[in-house]
Amino acid sequence: MSDVALIVDDSAVNRQLLARHLTTIGIDAREVGDGRAALEALHEPGANIGIVLLDVLMPDMDGYETLAAIKADDDLRHLPVIMISGVDELDSVVRCIQLGATDYLPKPFNPTILAARVRASLADKRMRDLEVAHAAEQAALLQTIERQKEELSRFLSPQVAALVSSPEGEQMLAGHRREATAVFCDLRGFTAFSDSAEPEEVLGMLREYHSRMGELIVRYEGTLEHFAGDGMMVFFNDPVPQPDHVERAVRMAVAMRDMFAGLAARWAKLGFELGFGVGIACGYATLGRIGFEGRYDYGMVGTAVILASRLSSAAAADQILLNPRAHAAVEELFETEPVGALQLKGFARAVEAVNVLAIKTTEAATAKPS
Amino acid sequence: MADLAPVLDQSVLDELRESVGDDDAFIADLVATYIAEGRDHLAAMEAAAAAGDAAAIVRPAHTLKSSSAALGALRLAAIAREIEMAGRAGAAADLPARVADARAAWDATLAEMAAAGLTK
Repeated sequence: MSDVALIVDDSAVNRQLLARHLTTIGIDAREVGDGRAALEALHEPGANIGIVLLDVLMPDMDGYETLAAIKADDDLRHLPVIMISGVDELDSVVRCIQLGATDYLPKPFNPTILAARVRASLADKRMRDLEVAHAAEQAALLQTIERQKEELSRFLSPQVAALVSSPEGEQMLAGHRREATAVFCDLRGFTAFSDSAEPEEVLGMLREYHSRMGELIVRYEGTLEHFAGDGMMVFFNDPVPQPDHVERAVRMAVAMRDMFAGLAARWAKLGFELGFGVGIACGYATLGRIGFEGRYDYGMVGTAVILASRLSSAAAADQILLNPRAHAAVEELFETEPVGALQLKGFARAVEAVNVLAIKTTEAATAKPS
Repeated sequence: MADLAPVLDQSVLDELRESVGDDDAFIADLVATYIAEGRDHLAAMEAAAAAGDAAAIVRPAHTLKSSSAALGALRLAAIAREIEMAGRAGAAADLPARVADARAAWDATLAEMAAAGLTK
């Protein structure tokens, strides 16, 4: 879309000549005979006028008035205006340049000077337009990024959303190995419940369960890897390092169990018997982007993940089972009971798991060396 | 002084023709525009001179000066320029005689343009 030049001159001979010279250098021209018509043309939507060649002496509305009107108009003030002037009108040219005209074009027209001045003015204007457009693009881009971040944070855990938009994000997403704590939880009796209940009841109940559990995940700053029906997987110590990752995981699980007790009591009145079980395992894992172009998850892969999942399956209602490594990290903080050596699918050796009973009272906890 | 300028300066026309890539059809169009427009301006100048309206003569004289100069009608351009200046100075009394000069120069210009094959 190239700029059109608007020729404003009451002399048809001058207009015709200027238009011809402009066409020769590849610039389309429009012609009007006075200032009023010029302003109308400039305000036409889609007129795409990029430069004005303005005569001084014209009937009705002369060059000074037209120039002043252009310069007083916020939409037009940046438009280059080249005054068309005879050699004996240089005084008026000086006045026009003081009023904001860009340059002047002496009569009789010299096509080379015309081309040089028009091109220079158009180049200035395009540079300015580019700057303006660039600034607008930047602003729009920032807005989009902010909006996407906001949207993302609704779908991703806040930690992953923040990571995605951080400078180190790409490197982190590429995958890294570190110690982390995986938490699996799901409902006992859910399959039977979803078979017997109406789908609307199931969905309504799940929504409430997810929303209450989601609040706790956020509170303890866990990274939610996924919700799947009644199950969910959350991990700690990644992407944001958390020195107390096991403690956070167990505290969250205890809070979830308490929360669930309230929900379960209400559901029980509706005739639904549901229990809540958790498996927590600490170990080394690979964390990062998992999936394929267009649909990626930020995930955790490793033995600890499988172990947490198996512990969750093995847990009875209200049990929070820890693997020995997780237990070792938090044994001074929580009351636990051993549940024996569990034979878990995929694990050659039995796992000595413990069940978390309660958080040790502050007194008891502080009495022990930390 | 105005009488000394050539009625039609061939060098101006040559330059003009060269600047539009020897497009004779365009030059013929331009001359036709000049004649149609000049006729109106000259009539407006005559009316202003007859009415003794110095201010009203400035613009048509100015425009006729400029288009005449563009086409090499330098004698008429010079007369029109003097009329424009007289008009600006408010010298209404001088105008009728000067406009008569302009009319004579105009007729001479058209005759030379026709002779040069510029008119359709």
